[in-house]
Amino acid sequence: MTLLDFARGPGLQAAWLILIAGTAWRIIGVLLLRQRLHLAEPRTGIAGQARGAVTTVFTRFIPRRTFWPRIRVSVILSVVFHLGLVIIVLGGAPHIQVIQQFTGLTWPGLPKGVIVLVSGLTLASMIVMLLRRMFHPVMRLLSTADDYISWVTVFLPLLSGILLSGETIASYRTLLALHVLSVELLMIWFPFGKLMHAKLAFYSRAAMGINFSRKGAAT
Amino acid sequence: MDETLGEMLARRGFGRRSLLKFAIAMTSSLALPPMIAPVMAANLAKAKRRSVIWLSFQECTGCLETLLRSSAPTIDALIFDFISLDYQESLMAAAGADAERTLHEAVAANKGEYLLAIDGSIPVKDGGVYSLTGGRSNVSMLSDIAADAKAILAIGTCAAYGGIPKAWPNPTGAVGVEDLIEGKPIVNIPGCPPVPEVLSGVLVHFISFGRLPDLDDRKRPLAYFGTTIHDQCYRRPFYDQGKFAKSFDDEGARQGWCLFELGCKGPVTHNACASLKWNGGTSFPIESGHGCIGCSEPDFWDAGGFYTSLAGGSSAGWRNTGIALGVGVAGGIAAALSGRSKAT
Amino acid sequence: MTDFGFLADDGIVDALLMEVAGLLHRLIERGEAGSIDLRGLPLSDACIATLEQRLGRGEVAVTLTAAGRSDIHETGFPGVWWTKHEDEAGRIIALLIEVAIVPGILCADVDDIKRGLDRLPGSTNFSRRAA
Repeated sequence: MTLLDFARGPGLQAAWLILIAGTAWRIIGVLLLRQRLHLAEPRTGIAGQARGAVTTVFTRFIPRRTFWPRIRVSVILSVVFHLGLVIIVLGGAPHIQVIQQFTGLTWPGLPKGVIVLVSGLTLASMIVMLLRRMFHPVMRLLSTADDYISWVTVFLPLLSGILLSGETIASYRTLLALHVLSVELLMIWFPFGKLMHAKLAFYSRAAMGINFSRKGAAT
Repeated sequence: MDETLGEMLARRGFGRRSLLKFAIAMTSSLALPPMIAPVMAANLAKAKRRSVIWLSFQECTGCLETLLRSSAPTIDALIFDFISLDYQESLMAAAGADAERTLHEAVAANKGEYLLAIDGSIPVKDGGVYSLTGGRSNVSMLSDIAADAKAILAIGTCAAYGGIPKAWPNPTGAVGVEDLIEGKPIVNIPGCPPVPEVLSGVLVHFISFGRLPDLDDRKRPLAYFGTTIHDQCYRRPFYDQGKFAKSFDDEGARQGWCLFELGCKGPVTHNACASLKWNGGTSFPIESGHGCIGCSEPDFWDAGGFYTSLAGGSSAGWRNTGIALGVGVAGGIAAALSGRSKAT
Repeated sequence: MTDFGFLADDGIVDALLMEVAGLLHRLIERGEAGSIDLRGLPLSDACIATLEQRLGRGEVAVTLTAAGRSDIHETGFPGVWWTKHEDEAGRIIALLIEVAIVPGILCADVDDIKRGLDRLPGSTNFSRRAA
């Protein structure tokens, strides 16, 4: 079996199963966490709390004006990076192909030139993020192995994908195998590190929203 | 007969110009510098008959059939004639004990000088009992006849890498020649079947220069296997523009758009089909509307389906996904419960 | 090669003409012949047609019949020859630009000459004696 066959076969299956199991474990684990006993009367009913949950998920996307000068760089880098990834993964023709193969859903892709441009911006934002994390005194102090591993597992698919679509540096077969394997590495790491924020952020925002609504606070 | 190739061709009415023309075509095909052609022609003219012993193992005879399909009486065919095909079970008239004697005589008469051509894979399981010739296993025949060969040509994907008999679950333990033989120059000419001009090119190179052409890390002649189908494909501009056929016979397919989404393995397949084409340059699978199946690469039968694009892969299936989900949920519950039991 | 029109590219044609110029320099200075194998390059039919047109035709045109037909003509640039070799079935097996005083294939080969001499009445089996 060649490396590519492994990547597209047993490797992909194993990574998927680990992703499913790990994600389920963490989400269930979080949802079943013990909650602090509430002794006060709730200020809103269930409906109000539910509304608070949903509202908070969306309001937290908007940075607060008070903090803007301090968080400006982080937010811009983060938006470029996250939007970039979404555009590449959901707009790139080969990715739509993968989704179609496994779900039957398909939609028109974006022109290759657009994807190339977006990939370049996303790559740049990731490199700046890493440099900032390594050289900004506070960031450096706060960073853990989790942060760096998570960066690497996202960077490798991005880089290998760019090289693959440019068909440069190595043969197509090698690049394709490396790209698929790097995505599998990401899938395996995903549930166990901070990348889980992709799922958990919504739960934590919702939990905050429920809590605040319960207390009658603004969300 | 001690006649040289030049004399044989002259006898058939082909002067040196014909040979030079052939050499010019061959140097182009082998991607050699054009100025090598007169040297090749001179060497070919002086060449003496070379003995070739052809052993067929676990094969479908497709490789032999493809090589016999030179229709026009070209110099190609004559050179093939010139090579003394001393043993080949489908083509020779002798059978049974006569055939076996022919084989032994050919080996003895050309010890150390004959080319050994193999088609078909070699089964090794259970002592090699799944493919026998005259009661003798292929494994045993191969090791015996390979010992005195000058070089070995593994013709077709089966002989090179195991091919279709090696496809999962490989019940006979089929392997390629290179898995069994060491210490001999081996050239792999894969393909299911291989492009016939590749074999002529390798043979001509060997006769002209006394050695095999430059090989890549999979022992394939670089001149023919140095690029992928994707690199030479005439539909490449459509790939670059993102114009893909979505199903067979849809509008895109009729326009001749790229077949990537229909499973074409061109980007990962090394062969000369897109440039040399088949049936004397008539066409090749992509030109006829079907994606490349990657038949010159190892394990292509197990590469996940001819109609699954390279962007896809194998699914873990609903059952396994369900099990994984169950395991995760159970783990989560266990973790949460153990957490809950601790004091806040 | 199937053609799609948009593959015609004068850039490649200009580059090839520069290579021809280089080979002509070599011919003049060192007397060395050279050639360019057009089928070894990723050229579309349109490119090849443009190239042939830019080179033009000169004073000499030769038809060679040896294991199929070959057409060789001197281009508008003396010493630059356009050579097309076909096999017996009419398929093109080589397409070259040759830079030489005269393409080698046009010269008679010594062994062929000897064989021809043998067939002449009155010959004294020259080739067998010399062997």
